[in-house]
Amino acid sequence: MDPDKRVYIGLLIVWSALSLFLSGCTSKRNPGSIVYRLKWLYNVSAAGDIWAQESGIFRSYGLTVDIREGGPEQDAIKDLELGRAQFGVASADQVIRAVAKGARVVVLAQIFQINPLQWIYIKRNGLVVKRPQDLKGLCIGVTYGGNDEAILMSLLRQYRISPDDLKLYAVHCDLNPFWRGKVDLWPVYKNIEGIIFQEKMAKNGEQACFFDPSTAGIRFVANSLITSKKVYMERPKVVRDFTEAILEGWRGAMDPRKKSRVAEAIHRLDPDTPISIIEKQIDATRALVIPRGNRDIGAIDRRAWEQTRDILLAQGLISHRVDIRPLLAGPPP
Amino acid sequence: MHISCRHLSYSYPGTGPPVFNSLDWSLEGPGFFGLFGLSGTGKTTLARLISGELSPNQGSIDKSRDIAILYTHSAERLPGWETVGTHLRSVTKASRASLLEALLRDYEMEDYLECRFSGLSMGQKNRINLARYLVQDFDLLIADEVLANVDEPTRNQILERTKLLFPQKTFLYISHNVLEVARFSQAVYVLPHGHSTGIENICKISCLDQQAGSEAHEELIRERVYTILKAASGSSGP
Amino acid sequence: MKILERLFQFFSIYIVALGLLWAVKIVYGFSDYLIPSPLEVLQIARENGLLYVKAVLNTSAVAVAGHMIAIVLATAVGLVGRLNSWPGSLTRIAAYNLQAYPIVAVAPIIFLFFGDGLSSRLLIAAIICYFPLLLSFIGIFAEPVEEVEHFYRMTGRINWRLELAIRTFENLDKIITVIVGSGTLAMVGTIVAEFLAASQGIGYVIRKALYQSNLAKILVALFLIGLCSSLYLSLIETIGKWIKARLTGE
Repeated sequence: MDPDKRVYIGLLIVWSALSLFLSGCTSKRNPGSIVYRLKWLYNVSAAGDIWAQESGIFRSYGLTVDIREGGPEQDAIKDLELGRAQFGVASADQVIRAVAKGARVVVLAQIFQINPLQWIYIKRNGLVVKRPQDLKGLCIGVTYGGNDEAILMSLLRQYRISPDDLKLYAVHCDLNPFWRGKVDLWPVYKNIEGIIFQEKMAKNGEQACFFDPSTAGIRFVANSLITSKKVYMERPKVVRDFTEAILEGWRGAMDPRKKSRVAEAIHRLDPDTPISIIEKQIDATRALVIPRGNRDIGAIDRRAWEQTRDILLAQGLISHRVDIRPLLAGPPP
Repeated sequence: MHISCRHLSYSYPGTGPPVFNSLDWSLEGPGFFGLFGLSGTGKTTLARLISGELSPNQGSIDKSRDIAILYTHSAERLPGWETVGTHLRSVTKASRASLLEALLRDYEMEDYLECRFSGLSMGQKNRINLARYLVQDFDLLIADEVLANVDEPTRNQILERTKLLFPQKTFLYISHNVLEVARFSQAVYVLPHGHSTGIENICKISCLDQQAGSEAHEELIRERVYTILKAASGSSGP
Repeated sequence: MKILERLFQFFSIYIVALGLLWAVKIVYGFSDYLIPSPLEVLQIARENGLLYVKAVLNTSAVAVAGHMIAIVLATAVGLVGRLNSWPGSLTRIAAYNLQAYPIVAVAPIIFLFFGDGLSSRLLIAAIICYFPLLLSFIGIFAEPVEEVEHFYRMTGRINWRLELAIRTFENLDKIITVIVGSGTLAMVGTIVAEFLAASQGIGYVIRKALYQSNLAKILVALFLIGLCSSLYLSLIETIGKWIKARLTGE
């Protein structure tokens, strides 16, 4: 065979294989079936989503929803673009970074009003961290590249604290440096690991405290409900119904009267976490999800989104200023 | 030098019938003896049993005290990381250096000492391997097809020289060349073919024991060859 | 020139893969978030190139050290594992069983005892590339080279050092191949360790890039990893060939 022909045939085979692989990304689904990609594994941060499914709220809206767990290697925005999911959960920084690079997504609701990513510390030897200035001289755990780094750096910049005034410790899966007291403050999701840490400390007769950057004015938006612009434009009724079902799910999940049933529903999907812990996690989540004032669950805090964008811009995590307004679409009218 | 096998039985694990079944056989040295048999009759197995590489299933092998038995075969190689000369010098006692030199001269291998073993022809490899065994301490050398790739005139010359140089040693020479064993051995032990239950007896046939410079009668050689072949085919007793 | 050949192969594969990625991006109209544009990749390379080169050199240094440790360790354990006695049998069984555990499951124990510094990276790199080496070494050291060893055994000269020398020499090509192959694994092991729990190296850079869903950074990191791996592997091959040529006198 002519060597040129062989090259063409080889390229054709590779192209075919790649097309075949990608065809899975854009395959048409049953119109009633919706894939919903979570940000993380099943836990209390998806309480409203789980409750909407388990209590039949989706069904009552005529929706068949396939909830899929997220994880470190899962990205809802990529799934939306590839057509593998119709709805997803992503943090504001993910959304803004994606939009800055041309991703076509819109935000339907902001689930967490306060970022659950906070720093935990053990109240001993008179350690109290209420203001950013209190961080001086302490060793602070930070996940380099993670949201906590962006939040901490923004905090330091805003309060004119030099990184030399404190010691930063790169956080990994090993928690021993915190338990051994080598690190004073450790980043956790207050409503998930925060509760587990708190329990562990209580058993040792220690008191857990949290440093919440939002009390210092750093509002970095966390989990929000998103969809692609395509789905938003082409299937407005589905988007409206889905958003309403999710918000109804969250209203139900955050209702103190339903706490034990919601905890059981989460426990069925996350059997490793005891129900008693899940109930405490629900209480902690409620404080982070229910907005202050008269606003309803899911309200989008535009100023917080703008601040999140400004933090990303200031730290060079996005290359240009993204217009937030068209992004925060909310459900179709 | 004396070796005798009493009621020797051996079969390879997992294989069919035994190779030897209550075999009684003995070898009395010094001298040059042949071991002959068709393929698969057990020549190599007997050699490995005598040299201690294999242990009999039953029976015993009695040897004179403190006798050194060496067994060599044609597939052996020298290590590839050194030259032939370096290897030979490393395995030869200083007192036998002149013997080694003489052997290499006889075998016409003096010019190949700087070569690696892999660079030699098959016949050259056979000669080098035999030379390194001949300079070791031994009372009995079992040589299994060791000159299989050497041309006939050279082979004859090597055998004549070996007999001349080592008159006090015993050689058990395994070969498929019936003419060669008939001519050079003082006796040939023949393993008969076709024993499905294992060999029980080995025939001993007296042969011509040709020495350097002498030539056996053609008619006599023919007669011994015929006897050996007949015994090997299993159609006659000793 | 083996090095040039390997580099050419690597560049060809990398360019073809990038070309295909960008072709898919154009055909399906994917955003820069999903697949970065060539311009973005170049920009990242320009801005972070030096930092990434330092990171990949750091990773490579640990990988090479881990690889050397693994070779020494596999040789030592392989020597015990070749024995027919109970220590040999125990070593073989332990080696086969330990191989079944994924490193991500063992890593937390390593971090617990060694922390998240250099020693953990070294150990994980060594463990990942150690098993294939060990299995090959046990096989090679336990298999007699009858045609060569026979003479030494017959004449009472055989000892374990000679046996080892013969078997190593006779299997030199196989040993070089397995060392080259495990070199790749050492690099992978170091990156995995950095990914899991280090604050240095290219694995750490990739982890940070993943947090930010920044594929452009990952593409640049992959290029440097491939480049370093190719150079290291061809270096081992060259050393192997040189040793063999010296020993065989070719």
